[in-house]
Order: sequence, then C-alpha cells, then structure tokens
Amino acid sequence: MTEYSVVGKPLPRVDGIAKLTGQAKYTTDIVLPDMVYAKLLRSPHPHAKIISIDISKAEKLPGVEAVITGKDTFGIRYGFVDTPNYPAEERPLAEDKVRFVGEAVAAVAAVDPDIAEDALDLIEVEYDPLPAVFDPEEAMKDGAPQIHGEITRSTSCAWEDWGVARKSHSYTPVNNVASRVLISYGDIEKGFAEADYIREDRFWSPATSHMAMEPHAIVANYNPFTGKLDVWLNHMAYELKRYWLSKTLGIPIQKIRVHQTYIGGAFGGKAVIFDFEVIAGFLSRKLGRPVKIVLTREEVFSSCRNSIRFDTTVKTGVKKDGTIVAQDVKVIVDAGAYKGSAAVAMFLSHQFSEPCYNRRNVRHEGVAVYTNKNFGFAKRGHGAPQNRFAVDSQIDMICEDLGLDPVEVILKNLRKKGDVLPNGDKLESYGLPKCVQLAADAIDWKQKRGTQRDKNRGVGIGINGMFSGSGYWPFACAAIVRLNHDGTVTLMEGDCEFGQGADTTYSQIAAEELGLPLEDVNLISGDSELCPMNYSNFLSGGMFVGGGAVYYAAYDLRQKMLKVASELLKVGPEDLDMKNRSVFIKARPEKSLTFGEILRYSIQKHLGDPLIGIGYKKAVPEIEFYPSLSKGTGRFTDAYGLAAATAEVEVDRETGRVKVLKICIADDCGYEINPASIYGQMVSQAVMGMGDALLEEVIDEGGRVINPNLVDYEIPRAFDVPEIMVLNGCDYEPKGPFGGKEAGECARAAVIPAIANAIYDAVGVRVHRVPITPEKLLNALKGKEGRR
Amino acid sequence: MRDFEYLPTKTIKEACSLISQYKEEGKILAGGQSLITLLRQKLISPSYLIDIKGISELNYITFDEKNGLRMGALTTHRAIEKSPIIQKKYNVLSEMEKSVASVQTRNWGTIGGNLCSADPIGDPAPSLIALSAKIKIVSSRGGKTIPLDEFFTDYFTTLLEPDEILTEIQLPSPVAHTGVVYMKFSTIEAGIKIVSTSISITLESDRRTCKDAKIVMSAVAPVPFNAKKAGNLMAGKKINDDLIAEAAQLASEETNPTPDVHASAEFRREIANVLVKRAIKQAFEKAKIA
Amino acid sequence: MEIAKKILKVKVNGRPYEMLIKPKTTLLQLLRNDLGLTGAKQACMDNSCGACTVIVDKMAVKACSVLALQVNGREVTTVEGLASRDGKLHPLQQTFLDFHAFQCGFCTPGKLMSAKAMLDENLHPNEEDIRRDMEGNLCRCTGYKQYIDAIKAVAQKKEGAK
Repeated sequence: MTEYSVVGKPLPRVDGIAKLTGQAKYTTDIVLPDMVYAKLLRSPHPHAKIISIDISKAEKLPGVEAVITGKDTFGIRYGFVDTPNYPAEERPLAEDKVRFVGEAVAAVAAVDPDIAEDALDLIEVEYDPLPAVFDPEEAMKDGAPQIHGEITRSTSCAWEDWGVARKSHSYTPVNNVASRVLISYGDIEKGFAEADYIREDRFWSPATSHMAMEPHAIVANYNPFTGKLDVWLNHMAYELKRYWLSKTLGIPIQKIRVHQTYIGGAFGGKAVIFDFEVIAGFLSRKLGRPVKIVLTREEVFSSCRNSIRFDTTVKTGVKKDGTIVAQDVKVIVDAGAYKGSAAVAMFLSHQFSEPCYNRRNVRHEGVAVYTNKNFGFAKRGHGAPQNRFAVDSQIDMICEDLGLDPVEVILKNLRKKGDVLPNGDKLESYGLPKCVQLAADAIDWKQKRGTQRDKNRGVGIGINGMFSGSGYWPFACAAIVRLNHDGTVTLMEGDCEFGQGADTTYSQIAAEELGLPLEDVNLISGDSELCPMNYSNFLSGGMFVGGGAVYYAAYDLRQKMLKVASELLKVGPEDLDMKNRSVFIKARPEKSLTFGEILRYSIQKHLGDPLIGIGYKKAVPEIEFYPSLSKGTGRFTDAYGLAAATAEVEVDRETGRVKVLKICIADDCGYEINPASIYGQMVSQAVMGMGDALLEEVIDEGGRVINPNLVDYEIPRAFDVPEIMVLNGCDYEPKGPFGGKEAGECARAAVIPAIANAIYDAVGVRVHRVPITPEKLLNALKGKEGRR
Repeated sequence: MRDFEYLPTKTIKEACSLISQYKEEGKILAGGQSLITLLRQKLISPSYLIDIKGISELNYITFDEKNGLRMGALTTHRAIEKSPIIQKKYNVLSEMEKSVASVQTRNWGTIGGNLCSADPIGDPAPSLIALSAKIKIVSSRGGKTIPLDEFFTDYFTTLLEPDEILTEIQLPSPVAHTGVVYMKFSTIEAGIKIVSTSISITLESDRRTCKDAKIVMSAVAPVPFNAKKAGNLMAGKKINDDLIAEAAQLASEETNPTPDVHASAEFRREIANVLVKRAIKQAFEKAKIA
Repeated sequence: MEIAKKILKVKVNGRPYEMLIKPKTTLLQLLRNDLGLTGAKQACMDNSCGACTVIVDKMAVKACSVLALQVNGREVTTVEGLASRDGKLHPLQQTFLDFHAFQCGFCTPGKLMSAKAMLDENLHPNEEDIRRDMEGNLCRCTGYKQYIDAIKAVAQKKEGAK
C-alpha cells in the first residue's frame, strides 16, 4: 500500500482557528450597513381559509419598513420534488388558505427585530377554520378534508432548463395522496411460496428535529442599481439555493451570489429553500436594503422541515436457516401539508436497503399522504433510519422465532463484493461483512447475546447502506487548483463547511496529490462566485463527488506541472515524482525543482500559462438527468457507504428507563482521509441514533407542535453519552478519492435497531414505535407481565 | 421583549419601597434565570423591573446548632451546592442542587428567585420542604415567617403579595437519627424531571421505628407536593418493606399530576411510586447510621 | 412610554467600556450587537442550550439570560478574550484543535467558556465532574466525546504541571 503523508492522518482541522477563537462568521453573525430585520406571522390554525388580512396598523408602527402578504408573493411556487407531473406546491406566504400551524401568512421588515415582532401583533388576519386531518389513513378516506385543490404549474421546475422536453401541467391530488412509489423485482408471490417462515410486523418512526445548533437564518442584500442579490444563508449546496432564489424571485442566476459562511450544523435539514429565504430576498428587493431573518427555535421546530414520519409494514419470508427469500414493504408517509421530500424518502428507504441484504424477491410500495401538519425533509440518512428500525427489528424477531443468531443470519444475507444490484449499481467496494463482524466482536456478541436477561441487560445489532451522492439533477461538482508564485496552491471548491470537515479533508486530498504539506493549500470554499459549480454536499456526496472533483483538479495540475518539469529536467514525466514541495527525478532525487521554479518556467515558456488544474466529478456518470424514483429504476450511485452497529443496554424494569452502556460502530467509508474526522462522524451518529431510539420526537397536538424548544425536545447531553467504540471496516473504493466515500450519514440508521434489539434482548419485550421512551417500554413490560 | 424601566437596588429597604410603589406594574428581578425568558416570550411585560441582585445583605449562608441554617434569598444555587456547611449538615441540598438546570444557571440564579418562580417541576422546594424550611417575607408593611410548605398556591403562583419580597430561607438544625434523600427520574440525566422526590425519615432511638416522615415530590401536582398521608402512615410504625411499599403506593395515589409532553399522569404516578419506595429505603438506611 | 437609556460600565476581555443602553438589552445582545463580539452565539433564546456562555467574574453564565445592566461594574470574558493577542491559543483551544473537539463550531465558544470556568475553579475534575459541569452546553455534531476527552487532557496536563 502506498505511504501517504497527508491523507490518512488525523490532522487538525483547517477551520479550527476560526471556530475556536470566535472569529468564524455564521449567517447569524452577519451585519450589513442599513440592514433591516424581518419576522414572519404564522398561522395558528392547522387548516383555515384566509378571509382577509389587514396590515394597516402594522404598517403605521414607527420603525416598520414593509409588510407583505400572500398577495405580494402570489403565484410563487417551489419545492424539493418538482416534476412536470407533480409540480411543487410550496409558497413563501399563504394565499387562499393555510394548511398547517406555522405556515407563514405575512412578513414584516423593521429597523429592529423587536419592532418587527411587535408589528406582527398588529396584523389582523380573519380566518375561517376548516376541518383538519392529522392522520394519514384518515386523510386517505373518502370524505376527508381535502388539503390541496388544483396544484398549478410551479415557477421552479428544472426540467425544461435541463432540456427535458416535457411540459409541466397542473394536477389535483385525490384523497390527499401526495405521491406514490412502487418498486418491485423478482417474483414476490413465488418468493413467499418458497419461504419456510413468514412474519409481518408494523413499525413507526416519528418526525424528529435535525436540531442543528444554528437556527435557520439569512441575510439578503439586493442592490437596486446592479440588480444583484447577495445572500448569506444556511445551506448544503449553494447551487440549490441559488437556483431556487432565481426561480422564485425571477433574478438571473449570475446575479445571485451566495457568500461563504460557516454553517452551524445541517444534517440534511438546510438543503431545501424555505419560505423565509424567499421572503428575505423579496423584501430586500422591495426595500433596496439588506434584510436579515433569524428564525426562532419554535419556528425551526414548527415551520422548518423535520424528519419524515414513516409507518412501515414489513413482511419477510425466510428459509429455515434464515435466508431471506422475499420481502414486501409497505410504507405510509404522513407527509404533512406539503409533500417536501416524501417521495424521495419512500424511494430511498428501499434503495438504501439494497446494498444490505440480498432479498431476492422484493416489493416496496409507498404512499405519501397530505395532512394538516408541518412537512418533512431529509435528515441524516433520509428514509434509512425509519426503514432500518423496521427491517432490522424484524430480522431480530425472526431469529428469535426460529432460534437463530442474528449476526449469523445477517452475515448470511448480506450482498457480496462485486454484486450488481437490481437497478444496476455495482458494489465495487463492500466492507459490510467485515463491519458486521467487527461490531459483533466489539460488543462481545457471542458471550453476551441472550445471556444477560437476569441482569436486564442485552445486546443488539443493526446495519445500513447509504449513497455517496446520487443522480439528482445535475449532481456534479467541479474544483480548481491554481499554483501560486511561492509554490503553494489555492483550492477553489464550492462545498460549504457545516461541520462535516469538508474544508479539511478536501485540502488534504489536494495536498497529498501535489506533495504539499496541508498548510500550503489555501482554500476558498462555499462562495458561489469564487468557486465552480457545486452540488455535492447532500445525499452524502461530499467526499465522493466534491472530494473527487478536488482530487481530479489536483491530479490535473500535477500532470501539467510534471509536463513542465520534464522539459526542464529533460526526462519523461513518468520518471518524475512530486513530494515535499518539489518535483524530482525518481532515480536521482537530488535533481529537483521547486514549484515556484516550475511556475516561473511555465509562464516564461508557455505563453504565460500559470498552471491551473481543473477537476470535476459526477455522482453517477451514466445518469444524464433523473433516475425514476417512483419505479426505482436506473442507476443511483457509484459507491455505497456501509455500516454496522451494535449496542448494549441495561433496562430498569420498574421504570422502563433504558441506559445505553455501549455502542460500537464499524463503518466502511472506503478510506479514512482524516481518521479523527471519521471518528467524530461516527460518535456523532452513535449519539444521534441513541436520541432517535430513546428520546426524540416532535410531538404535535391538533397539528400544533407542543415541544418546540430545547427544553421539551430532549437530545442526549454530555452525561448521557455511553462508551463508544469506532471500528474501521473500510474497503477501498476504486472510484473514490484515495478510496474514500460516504461517511457522515450511514451509521445513524444502524444504531437505532441495534438499541431497539438490545432492549428486547434485555427484557424480552419490543416497542414498535421509536422513541422507546420509559413510558412506552414500561407499558410494554406490563402488557407482557399481565399487569393492569 | 418589551421595554421597561430598570431600577437597581442596593438595600432591602430600597427594594421594598420601590415594589410597594409599583406593585403589579413592577417585578422583582433576582438572577432572572426564568424571568428573562418570560420577558422575551412576552408572557409577562412589567413596566418596572426592580433588580435586587445587587443587595449584598441578602446573600449569605450562616449556621449554628441552635438556630439552624439561614440563607439569604440571593444565595445562588451554586453557592448552596458548594457550601461546606451545607455539604456537611444538609448534604441532600447540595446533592439536589447538582441537578438544578446547568452550572451556568446555578451560577447566576438564586434560591429565592427559584422559589418565587414557583415552577412545580423545580427541585429545591421539595428538598427544602422535606427539611422543614421556613421563609421570611418582608414588605414596607412589615415582615413574617411562614413554612415553605404553605407558600405555593398553584402553578407559578405563591402567597407573595405584589409588594412583598422573599428574603430568607431558614432550616432547623438536623435532628438525630434522620436520613434525607433526593432522587429524581428523568429520561436523560440532565433532562426535564418527570418526577423527583425528597424524603426525610427520622427514626426513634431504636433505629427501626419511624418517628417522622416527610415525602415531598416535584412535578406531580400544581405545587411542590407534600404527601402527608403517606408520611402520617409511616409515623410511629416499624419500617419494613411492606410499610415502605404501602407508603409509596399511598404517596403516588395522593398525587395529582398533569399529563404533558414528557409523561402521562398515570406514568408520573407510577414513577412516583417507584421513586418514593426507593428513596424511603435509602433514607431509612441513612437514618439508621445518622 | 419612552424608556430612558441607562449607563453601563463594564470590562470586556480586559477593556473598559462605558455606554448607554436600553434596559432590556441582554448581555448577549450587548456583546454581539453593540460590541461586535459574535463569538457567543444565540441558538435557543430560552436559557437551554449554552451556546451563549461567557464568563462573568469567574462564573460561567448564559449571556442570553442575563441583562446587560446586571453586569454593571463586573468583568466579562468571551471566547475572543481567550487566546493571547500574540496569536497563542489558550491550552483549551489548542487541545480542542488537537482532539477534533468541534465540528460545526457553533456551540464551541460556549463550551470553551464553560470549560475554562470549570478548570479555573476545579483543579482536579474527573470525567464525571466534566460531564456534569458541561451539561448546560448542548451539542448536536460531536456526540460530546472528543471535547470531553480534550477537557480531560487539559485538566491532566495542568495537574502534571503542578
């Protein structure tokens, strides 16, 4: 194996000094001259007609600069899923009616945030409440309140821009169905007929909050003289926000600049465009002044996206030895008032399963249903946490029924390296078998499984797979590396730094390829005007796609430098190597050139060529536009990240309280570009997964979120963190930069069933709804013991 | 947050005179660890905020065997937690304080402010009631001392008149053969308490018979809840597992919990039962060797 | 009613300030809006997350829940006052850097200040002390482990130096 000097090392993060000294600027820290502050008035009703809105009193309040309503933004439509058949239906401000508690109905801009807030109290909205529906099965029944009428052509559909000649048209949802997916392969009937044992079980996952520490925020600054809109915002790929801002506001893309800021956590929740972002741009243009909006934590919980509510029925057929021969999954997604990414999540919950087990005959059917609640989006694993909880819980149950060992059954059913999945994705790297073994050994599976019930202790296991970026239009990324006079380089790459470590690992990739120490890479990232195209920082495409583009850019520069050096040193480029800030002849390392010398020569002799490397990468080269989500056909990713997790828990039988003693995660991220960073991602997912399993749920009552704050929505804190072991299950990914692929999302979904299964192992009862709170577990224990 | 006049004070007299002047229009600010949030959420909007945190004569902890412990109302939670005399004589208080909110809140927040905010999930009040605390209340009209147990009247409501200020908390000297225990139940360690209990058991000199039992709980009623029936049940009886189970059952039946986002009423009752049972056992063991 | 502004005298990171402010100004607003010290963050606005933690007279406090006028005459230290002016990081900052003890970094200034106050007060914290004392600082990225380890390492180093 090649000796690397920069990648593979736990080097300190390049964003460290800024973040540790308080100098790092986040959107919430941005202040511009003459800036005004906007606040949004939000609906208190889950479903109501808007009869009238009187803004006259608010407008008269001293300090108020503008008040807008749905009349001003009428007709603007956008959304994450936006196709000719199913146009997006979100809007910045409600027009005819409100569909959930927290939907924006008006916005005020004022010279200070308190005045803006006071002005909200002066806006008089007359509502005519309509019957509301909160349960998806109720919502699908005939006669249920219809949440949407005709959904008209959106203003933001990308298809025509991308040359897909299909005219978008309006449609009217029937029985509140927002979208459907149906994916099948093999022969499901035959599969079940061949099975020796069949189980059907139902599981529920609630909405949970990403709970990024930085609340959603934007500063928008429209210059009326140049027609240019400068924005600072929380995002996960500036091309997405820039595109939507352009489409909703009618400002050309090249006139919109997303500035670099640090982002205080994202976890999927900040990728889409939000009402307040469109409103900030709208108000800034109206006023010709910078507008800042920082959402309250309550707004983040009630009006921004949470994870998606899944109701999953799994039917699995196995042979006596546990070999899966058929799996039928039926998903009902409680989408909320707008469809968000429900369709994508339903599809992904299937596709992320694909690299896990070879299930042979599969049917995966999903229906997403409109209800009068807040709607959802991707959260770290997008559909996988919900599905793994269901599927890996059921595997555990089947093993119990048949007297089999879950680890053995999992190992038996895994895919194999080199397998081609039914959609065509090939598992060129596949560390999952190793991960399962590592995680099982680390928890002492053989000794502990099924042997500790007298101590109310148990162990459990779960697994998962995840894309390394995917073919969402046009999922590709470019990078530029320029050589500087002093022999350092400047890397220009668009990915934003939201904590995942992109700035550091990408710099490591460039440094390694060019034989430079990390400090010689100057980084410009996250700025849409200074960096090339960037769409990689969601669906875990960061390392594989963004990092891949950086690798190719550095490689390109390297080749160009070697070519110039070969002229100077009078040997072929293949005889040269690059290390320690110099290019040298392999056979005679004392014959070397500095990078500065190479640059000087190139400028002198090559028409001023200053040596710039360009690189780009696409998530799936074969996909030109969209694969089909609803049918699940087409290629989706070039590399799957994989993980297995085990957990050990102890249950207090009298109170139902679960104490997690230990979590082990074995992860296959291809290659650990920065092992300390990978370790951080794994610990992060262990703790987040623990929150999912035991604590976290955005709870609503009559459509109103009743725990929209950090007191009532509890997440794990410092004291609750158990012993965590992180194990390296990497299998080199030939298409990844230095073999690297996804790392930040996969493991979370494996931790949830690991804990749920450990609880069963400890006390012999199973709770089918996460979070497994003390109350739910105690009720289950009582049910089992026939108490009350 | 709405605007208000800010009136810092240096003496009790000054504070009393201001609050008697403004009454309902005024509000006393101590550490503000609940108050500032209420102001921000506009749940209260006083015109005058009378800041008493600067009154140094209300920040003290004293102890003597005869009079017991006296704490000024502006004693911070952190000071109680760290006080050597409290750790020695009323250890349960410093143990309980470790669970109050966060270090930051304990550093700035005061015991008087905590009691006056009258949040039924608060832990200090049950612990203090279990220790038979009295409180001193003053106004420009005069002063009085009442048992803390009588102070709370409803959710976030106390007997305090608009012109009154709580100035001191008093605890009697520890009684021989007494064990006091604080125990909490929350889903996560530093999370919202679903129930907590503070229990004081005093034994006769035989070290088996219960002379006096106080069983006080948080978060099971609109006010800090003193399960008197359960306490009375134990008094005069020899303590054994059956008595403990009976007392815990009775205590949980006495409660009047409200369901909320964290737990149903029924679950709170059950946890109260388990917690009280466990805490009595511990207190009994402590009392035996005290 | 027009509310009179009040005079505030305060020392922040060693520098004396005297200014007129609205009484309702919180310490966090003073630092962020009036002094441009944006290291302390606003994340919850209800005293629950700890991202705004600063040190007032050796005590860690949440700046969102203290009125600026309440620190009149006191000394405030923010994350901007932690490193020395010559660019040398405070041992906590250096160890956080070495341990990858942060990710998005939004809650990091608050954690650093909590940790500093704790270590200044408690010379020999064990892991449980550290975890308990850091309870008031929420974090969503790190899973807490790397920064608990970092604080432990600083404490041990301090002890070793004695």
